[in-house]
Amino acid sequence: MNNNHQIGRIAAFCCNYTASVATDTLREAGLIPESLDVKKLPCTGRIEVRVLLDAFEQGAEAVFVAGCRADECHNLSGSRRAEKRVGYTKKLLKELGIDPDRIEMFFVHYGETQPVVEAVREMTARISKLERLHST
Amino acid sequence: MIIAEQKPLDEILEMISGVEKLLVLGCRGCVAVCSTGGDKEVGVLASALRLGRKKAGKPIEIDEATYVRQCDPEYLEPLKEDGEKYDAVLSMACGVGVNFIADRCPDVNVLPALNTTFYGANLSSGEWAEMCAGCGACVLHLTGGLCPVARCAKSLSNGPCGGSVGGRCEINPDVPCIWHQICEKLTGRKQDQLLREIVPIRDWRPSGHGGPRRRIREDLLP
Repeated sequence: MNNNHQIGRIAAFCCNYTASVATDTLREAGLIPESLDVKKLPCTGRIEVRVLLDAFEQGAEAVFVAGCRADECHNLSGSRRAEKRVGYTKKLLKELGIDPDRIEMFFVHYGETQPVVEAVREMTARISKLERLHST
Repeated sequence: MIIAEQKPLDEILEMISGVEKLLVLGCRGCVAVCSTGGDKEVGVLASALRLGRKKAGKPIEIDEATYVRQCDPEYLEPLKEDGEKYDAVLSMACGVGVNFIADRCPDVNVLPALNTTFYGANLSSGEWAEMCAGCGACVLHLTGGLCPVARCAKSLSNGPCGGSVGGRCEINPDVPCIWHQICEKLTGRKQDQLLREIVPIRDWRPSGHGGPRRRIREDLLP
Protein backbone atom coordinates (compact mmCIF):
# COMPACT_ATOMS: atom_id res chain seq x y z
CA MET A 1 0.00 0.00 0.00
CA ASN A 2 1.23 3.45 -0.85
CA ASN A 3 1.50 5.97 1.94
CA ASN A 4 1.23 9.16 -0.03
CA HIS A 5 -1.25 10.86 2.27
CA GLN A 6 -1.14 14.20 0.54
CA ILE A 7 -2.81 12.93 -2.60
CA GLY A 8 -4.58 9.89 -1.19
CA ARG A 9 -4.30 6.50 -2.74
CA ILE A 10 -6.11 5.79 -5.98
CA ALA A 11 -6.75 2.20 -7.01
CA ALA A 12 -6.95 1.55 -10.75
CA PHE A 13 -8.26 -1.68 -12.23
CA CYS A 14 -7.02 -1.87 -15.79
CA CYS A 15 -7.74 -4.10 -18.73
CA ASN A 16 -4.66 -6.10 -19.66
CA TYR A 17 -5.09 -5.38 -23.37
CA THR A 18 -5.55 -1.64 -23.36
CA ALA A 19 -5.31 0.44 -20.20
CA SER A 20 -2.55 -1.71 -18.67
CA VAL A 21 -0.40 -1.17 -21.74
CA ALA A 22 -0.89 2.54 -21.24
CA THR A 23 0.00 2.41 -17.54
CA ASP A 24 3.16 0.39 -18.31
CA THR A 25 4.23 2.99 -20.86
CA LEU A 26 3.47 5.81 -18.47
CA ARG A 27 5.28 4.12 -15.59
CA GLU A 28 8.40 3.65 -17.75
CA ALA A 29 8.22 7.35 -18.52
CA GLY A 30 7.90 8.13 -14.81
CA LEU A 31 4.48 9.62 -15.34
CA ILE A 32 2.52 7.41 -12.96
CA PRO A 33 2.18 8.99 -9.53
CA GLU A 34 3.18 6.93 -6.52
CA SER A 35 -0.31 7.27 -5.19
CA LEU A 36 -1.70 5.15 -8.04
CA ASP A 37 -2.06 1.45 -7.34
CA VAL A 38 -2.56 -0.31 -10.67
CA LYS A 39 -4.10 -3.77 -10.77
CA LYS A 40 -4.21 -5.57 -14.10
CA LEU A 41 -7.17 -7.71 -15.07
CA PRO A 42 -7.47 -10.12 -18.02
CA CYS A 43 -10.67 -8.23 -18.78
CA THR A 44 -12.47 -5.55 -16.77
CA GLY A 45 -15.61 -7.66 -17.20
CA ARG A 46 -14.06 -9.86 -14.51
CA ILE A 47 -14.26 -7.11 -11.91
CA GLU A 48 -16.64 -7.77 -9.02
CA VAL A 49 -18.44 -5.19 -6.90
CA ARG A 50 -16.84 -6.69 -3.83
CA VAL A 51 -13.34 -6.10 -5.21
CA LEU A 52 -14.20 -2.45 -5.83
CA LEU A 53 -15.54 -2.05 -2.28
CA ASP A 54 -12.54 -3.89 -0.88
CA ALA A 55 -10.26 -1.34 -2.53
CA PHE A 56 -11.99 1.40 -0.53
CA GLU A 57 -11.87 -0.73 2.60
CA GLN A 58 -8.14 -1.17 2.11
CA GLY A 59 -7.51 2.53 2.05
CA ALA A 60 -8.22 3.88 -1.42
CA GLU A 61 -9.63 7.39 -1.54
CA ALA A 62 -10.77 6.82 -5.11
CA VAL A 63 -11.10 3.89 -7.46
CA PHE A 64 -11.36 3.72 -11.22
CA VAL A 65 -11.74 0.99 -13.78
CA ALA A 66 -10.19 1.49 -17.20
CA GLY A 67 -11.32 -0.87 -19.90
CA CYS A 68 -11.57 -1.11 -23.65
CA ARG A 69 -13.86 1.24 -25.49
CA ALA A 70 -17.30 -0.33 -25.46
CA ASP A 71 -17.17 -1.31 -29.14
CA GLU A 72 -13.59 -2.62 -28.97
CA CYS A 73 -13.69 -5.02 -26.02
CA HIS A 74 -11.73 -8.20 -26.75
CA ASN A 75 -14.40 -10.10 -24.87
CA LEU A 76 -17.24 -8.22 -26.58
CA SER A 77 -19.08 -6.96 -23.52
CA GLY A 78 -16.45 -6.99 -20.76
CA SER A 79 -16.05 -3.25 -20.34
CA ARG A 80 -19.81 -2.70 -20.52
CA ARG A 81 -20.25 -5.22 -17.70
CA ALA A 82 -17.56 -3.42 -15.73
CA GLU A 83 -19.38 -0.12 -16.28
CA LYS A 84 -22.55 -1.63 -14.79
CA ARG A 85 -20.65 -2.90 -11.75
CA VAL A 86 -19.09 0.48 -11.25
CA GLY A 87 -22.62 1.91 -11.45
CA TYR A 88 -23.86 -0.52 -8.80
CA THR A 89 -20.91 0.34 -6.57
CA LYS A 90 -21.75 4.04 -6.95
CA LYS A 91 -25.26 3.22 -5.71
CA LEU A 92 -23.89 1.40 -2.65
CA LEU A 93 -21.46 4.21 -1.85
CA LYS A 94 -24.30 6.72 -2.05
CA GLU A 95 -26.35 4.59 0.36
CA LEU A 96 -23.39 4.63 2.73
CA GLY A 97 -23.14 8.41 2.53
CA ILE A 98 -19.89 8.22 0.56
CA ASP A 99 -19.60 10.43 -2.54
CA PRO A 100 -20.21 8.17 -5.57
CA ASP A 101 -17.79 10.33 -7.58
CA ARG A 102 -15.03 8.49 -5.76
CA ILE A 103 -15.43 5.71 -8.31
CA GLU A 104 -15.57 5.96 -12.10
CA MET A 105 -15.35 3.93 -15.29
CA PHE A 106 -13.10 5.06 -18.13
CA PHE A 107 -12.87 3.68 -21.65
CA VAL A 108 -9.51 3.56 -23.34
CA HIS A 109 -8.59 2.89 -26.96
CA TYR A 110 -5.74 0.40 -27.45
CA GLY A 111 -2.39 2.19 -27.57
CA GLU A 112 -3.65 5.48 -26.10
CA THR A 113 -1.96 6.74 -22.95
CA GLN A 114 -3.63 10.14 -22.65
CA PRO A 115 -7.02 8.83 -21.41
CA VAL A 116 -5.26 7.05 -18.54
CA VAL A 117 -3.38 10.23 -17.60
CA GLU A 118 -6.67 12.12 -17.75
CA ALA A 119 -8.38 9.48 -15.61
CA VAL A 120 -5.72 9.83 -12.91
CA ARG A 121 -5.95 13.62 -13.09
CA GLU A 122 -9.75 13.50 -12.92
CA MET A 123 -9.85 11.22 -9.89
CA THR A 124 -7.11 13.19 -8.14
CA ALA A 125 -9.07 16.39 -8.74
CA ARG A 126 -12.25 14.82 -7.41
CA ILE A 127 -10.76 13.55 -4.15
CA SER A 128 -8.86 16.79 -3.58
CA LYS A 129 -12.27 18.48 -3.23
CA LEU A 130 -13.59 15.88 -0.78
CA GLU A 131 -12.88 15.15 2.85
CA ARG A 132 -10.54 12.23 3.44
CA LEU A 133 -12.33 8.91 3.60
CA HIS A 134 -9.56 7.34 5.63
CA SER A 135 -7.69 8.92 8.50
CA THR A 136 -3.99 9.42 7.82
CA MET B 1 -38.22 -19.58 -6.61
CA ILE B 2 -38.56 -17.16 -3.72
CA ILE B 3 -37.46 -13.69 -4.78
CA ALA B 4 -36.01 -11.24 -2.30
CA GLU B 5 -34.18 -7.96 -2.34
CA GLN B 6 -31.67 -6.47 0.02
CA LYS B 7 -32.87 -3.92 2.53
CA PRO B 8 -31.42 -0.42 2.18
CA LEU B 9 -27.96 -0.21 3.75
CA ASP B 10 -28.98 2.54 6.17
CA GLU B 11 -31.76 0.30 7.51
CA ILE B 12 -29.30 -2.56 8.02
CA LEU B 13 -26.72 -0.26 9.61
CA GLU B 14 -29.37 1.01 12.01
CA MET B 15 -30.34 -2.59 12.80
CA ILE B 16 -26.75 -3.49 13.73
CA SER B 17 -25.90 -0.20 15.41
CA GLY B 18 -24.96 -1.81 18.73
CA VAL B 19 -23.31 -4.86 17.21
CA GLU B 20 -19.53 -5.26 17.43
CA LYS B 21 -19.16 -8.80 16.09
CA LEU B 22 -21.43 -9.88 13.26
CA LEU B 23 -21.90 -12.95 11.11
CA VAL B 24 -23.31 -12.26 7.64
CA LEU B 25 -24.94 -15.54 6.72
CA GLY B 26 -25.95 -16.31 3.13
CA CYS B 27 -28.08 -19.10 1.72
CA ARG B 28 -27.35 -21.07 -1.46
CA GLY B 29 -31.05 -21.68 -2.12
CA CYS B 30 -33.48 -19.37 -3.94
CA VAL B 31 -31.82 -16.16 -2.81
CA ALA B 32 -28.51 -17.21 -4.32
CA VAL B 33 -30.24 -17.97 -7.63
CA CYS B 34 -31.95 -14.57 -7.63
CA SER B 35 -28.60 -12.89 -6.83
CA THR B 36 -29.64 -11.51 -3.47
CA GLY B 37 -28.24 -13.70 -0.72
CA GLY B 38 -25.60 -16.10 -2.07
CA ASP B 39 -21.83 -16.11 -1.55
CA LYS B 40 -21.20 -13.09 -3.77
CA GLU B 41 -23.84 -10.95 -2.11
CA VAL B 42 -22.58 -11.93 1.34
CA GLY B 43 -19.16 -10.59 0.36
CA VAL B 44 -20.54 -7.35 -1.03
CA LEU B 45 -22.78 -6.68 1.97
CA ALA B 46 -20.06 -7.50 4.50
CA SER B 47 -17.64 -5.19 2.72
CA ALA B 48 -20.21 -2.40 2.48
CA LEU B 49 -21.11 -2.70 6.16
CA ARG B 50 -17.45 -2.63 7.22
CA LEU B 51 -16.97 0.46 5.08
CA GLY B 52 -20.10 2.13 6.47
CA ARG B 53 -19.15 1.44 10.07
CA LYS B 54 -15.56 2.55 9.52
CA LYS B 55 -16.84 5.81 8.06
CA ALA B 56 -19.08 6.25 11.11
CA GLY B 57 -16.04 5.75 13.37
CA LYS B 58 -17.41 2.50 14.77
CA PRO B 59 -15.44 -0.33 13.11
CA ILE B 60 -17.10 -3.72 13.20
CA GLU B 61 -15.78 -7.26 13.05
CA ILE B 62 -17.64 -9.24 10.42
CA ASP B 63 -17.34 -12.91 9.51
CA GLU B 64 -18.94 -14.34 6.40
CA ALA B 65 -20.52 -17.74 5.77
CA THR B 66 -23.06 -19.25 3.42
CA TYR B 67 -25.13 -22.32 4.22
CA VAL B 68 -26.54 -24.74 1.65
CA ARG B 69 -30.01 -23.78 2.86
CA GLN B 70 -31.34 -21.99 5.91
CA CYS B 71 -34.73 -23.71 5.69
CA ASP B 72 -33.62 -27.26 6.58
CA PRO B 73 -32.74 -28.15 10.16
CA GLU B 74 -29.59 -30.16 9.42
CA TYR B 75 -27.86 -27.17 7.86
CA LEU B 76 -28.61 -24.98 10.87
CA GLU B 77 -27.05 -27.35 13.40
CA PRO B 78 -23.61 -25.63 13.42
CA LEU B 79 -25.26 -22.26 13.99
CA LYS B 80 -26.64 -23.32 17.37
CA GLU B 81 -23.12 -23.08 18.82
CA ASP B 82 -21.32 -20.89 16.28
CA GLY B 83 -24.05 -18.25 16.31
CA GLU B 84 -23.54 -17.53 20.01
CA LYS B 85 -20.05 -16.20 19.26
CA TYR B 86 -21.64 -13.20 17.56
CA ASP B 87 -23.63 -10.26 18.83
CA ALA B 88 -25.91 -10.86 15.85
CA VAL B 89 -26.34 -13.05 12.79
CA LEU B 90 -27.47 -11.09 9.75
CA SER B 91 -29.32 -13.60 7.61
CA MET B 92 -29.35 -13.10 3.86
CA ALA B 93 -31.95 -15.86 3.44
CA CYS B 94 -35.61 -15.23 2.76
CA GLY B 95 -37.93 -14.76 5.71
CA VAL B 96 -38.25 -18.53 6.02
CA GLY B 97 -34.56 -18.81 6.88
CA VAL B 98 -34.71 -15.99 9.41
CA ASN B 99 -37.76 -17.54 11.10
CA PHE B 100 -36.23 -20.99 11.10
CA ILE B 101 -33.02 -19.72 12.73
CA ALA B 102 -35.14 -17.90 15.34
CA ASP B 103 -37.05 -21.15 16.01
CA ARG B 104 -34.13 -23.55 15.99
CA CYS B 105 -31.35 -21.41 17.44
CA PRO B 106 -33.12 -19.46 20.22
CA ASP B 107 -29.89 -18.10 21.66
CA VAL B 108 -28.89 -16.53 18.36
CA ASN B 109 -29.80 -12.90 17.72
CA VAL B 110 -30.90 -13.24 14.10
CA LEU B 111 -31.62 -10.18 11.95
CA PRO B 112 -32.97 -9.94 8.39
CA ALA B 113 -30.84 -8.42 5.64
CA LEU B 114 -33.49 -8.94 2.95
CA ASN B 115 -37.08 -8.12 2.19
CA THR B 116 -38.76 -11.27 0.89
CA THR B 117 -40.95 -10.20 -1.97
CA PHE B 118 -42.60 -12.89 -4.10
CA TYR B 119 -42.49 -16.25 -5.89
CA GLY B 120 -41.16 -15.50 -9.30
CA ALA B 121 -39.39 -16.51 -12.46
CA ASN B 122 -36.17 -15.19 -13.97
CA LEU B 123 -37.18 -13.27 -17.13
CA SER B 124 -33.61 -12.40 -18.06
CA SER B 125 -30.36 -11.68 -16.28
CA GLY B 126 -31.25 -9.28 -13.49
CA GLU B 127 -35.02 -9.34 -13.98
CA TRP B 128 -37.64 -11.35 -12.08
CA ALA B 129 -41.43 -11.33 -12.18
CA GLU B 130 -44.12 -12.66 -9.87
CA MET B 131 -45.80 -15.80 -11.21
CA CYS B 132 -47.39 -17.47 -8.18
CA ALA B 133 -49.04 -16.23 -5.00
CA GLY B 134 -48.86 -19.52 -3.12
CA CYS B 135 -52.61 -19.30 -2.62
CA GLY B 136 -52.98 -23.00 -1.90
CA ALA B 137 -55.83 -23.56 -4.39
CA CYS B 138 -54.35 -23.65 -7.88
CA VAL B 139 -56.68 -22.84 -10.79
CA LEU B 140 -54.10 -22.91 -13.58
CA HIS B 141 -55.91 -25.76 -15.36
CA LEU B 142 -58.80 -23.33 -15.94
CA THR B 143 -56.71 -20.39 -17.07
CA GLY B 144 -54.28 -21.71 -19.64
CA GLY B 145 -51.51 -21.95 -17.04
CA LEU B 146 -51.58 -18.20 -16.34
CA CYS B 147 -52.27 -17.23 -12.75
CA PRO B 148 -55.02 -14.67 -12.14
CA VAL B 149 -54.30 -14.63 -8.41
CA ALA B 150 -50.65 -13.57 -8.68
CA ARG B 151 -50.65 -11.77 -12.02
CA CYS B 152 -53.93 -9.82 -11.89
CA ALA B 153 -53.64 -6.69 -9.73
CA LYS B 154 -57.14 -7.44 -8.38
CA SER B 155 -56.68 -11.22 -8.20
CA LEU B 156 -59.95 -11.60 -10.09
CA SER B 157 -61.38 -15.08 -10.49
CA ASN B 158 -63.67 -13.94 -13.32
CA GLY B 159 -61.87 -11.42 -15.45
CA PRO B 160 -60.99 -9.24 -17.10
CA CYS B 161 -62.23 -6.22 -15.20
CA GLY B 162 -63.55 -3.24 -17.12
CA GLY B 163 -60.35 -1.28 -16.80
CA SER B 164 -57.83 -3.01 -19.00
CA VAL B 165 -56.97 -1.07 -22.15
CA GLY B 166 -55.20 -2.52 -25.16
CA GLY B 167 -54.28 -5.62 -23.21
CA ARG B 168 -52.58 -3.60 -20.46
CA CYS B 169 -53.52 -3.42 -16.78
CA GLU B 170 -55.25 -0.24 -15.61
CA ILE B 171 -53.35 -0.31 -12.32
CA ASN B 172 -49.98 -0.34 -14.08
CA PRO B 173 -49.91 -0.03 -17.89
CA ASP B 174 -46.40 -1.55 -17.91
CA VAL B 175 -47.97 -4.84 -16.88
CA PRO B 176 -49.94 -6.94 -19.35
CA CYS B 177 -53.53 -7.71 -18.33
CA ILE B 178 -53.27 -11.37 -17.47
CA TRP B 179 -56.99 -11.89 -18.05
CA HIS B 180 -56.57 -10.49 -21.55
CA GLN B 181 -53.85 -13.07 -22.11
CA ILE B 182 -55.96 -15.85 -20.59
CA CYS B 183 -58.85 -14.99 -22.92
CA GLU B 184 -56.56 -14.87 -25.97
CA LYS B 185 -54.95 -18.16 -25.08
CA LEU B 186 -58.12 -20.09 -24.28
CA THR B 187 -59.91 -18.71 -27.34
CA GLY B 188 -56.96 -19.65 -29.54
CA ARG B 189 -57.05 -23.17 -28.15
CA LYS B 190 -60.82 -23.34 -28.61
CA GLN B 191 -61.22 -23.73 -24.84
CA ASP B 192 -63.30 -20.58 -24.51
CA GLN B 193 -66.10 -22.54 -22.83
CA LEU B 194 -63.90 -22.26 -19.73
CA LEU B 195 -64.34 -18.50 -19.86
CA ARG B 196 -68.13 -18.78 -19.75
CA GLU B 197 -68.09 -20.70 -16.48
CA ILE B 198 -68.58 -18.45 -13.48
CA VAL B 199 -65.95 -19.34 -10.89
CA PRO B 200 -67.39 -19.11 -7.36
CA ILE B 201 -66.00 -16.74 -4.74
CA ARG B 202 -62.55 -17.95 -3.79
CA ASP B 203 -61.99 -19.61 -0.44
CA TRP B 204 -58.93 -17.75 0.82
CA ARG B 205 -58.35 -19.98 3.81
CA PRO B 206 -55.77 -22.19 2.01
CA SER B 207 -53.85 -19.02 1.09
CA GLY B 208 -52.91 -18.34 4.68
CA HIS B 209 -55.92 -16.31 5.71
CA GLY B 210 -56.79 -19.26 7.93
CA GLY B 211 -53.52 -18.91 9.83
CA PRO B 212 -50.02 -20.33 9.27
CA ARG B 213 -50.08 -23.30 6.93
CA ARG B 214 -48.50 -26.68 7.48
CA ARG B 215 -48.12 -29.68 5.26
CA ILE B 216 -47.67 -33.21 6.57
CA ARG B 217 -46.78 -36.26 4.54
CA GLU B 218 -47.30 -39.22 6.83
CA ASP B 219 -45.05 -41.62 4.90
CA LEU B 220 -42.04 -39.35 5.34
CA LEU B 221 -42.47 -38.62 9.02
CA PRO B 222 -39.72 -40.06 11.26
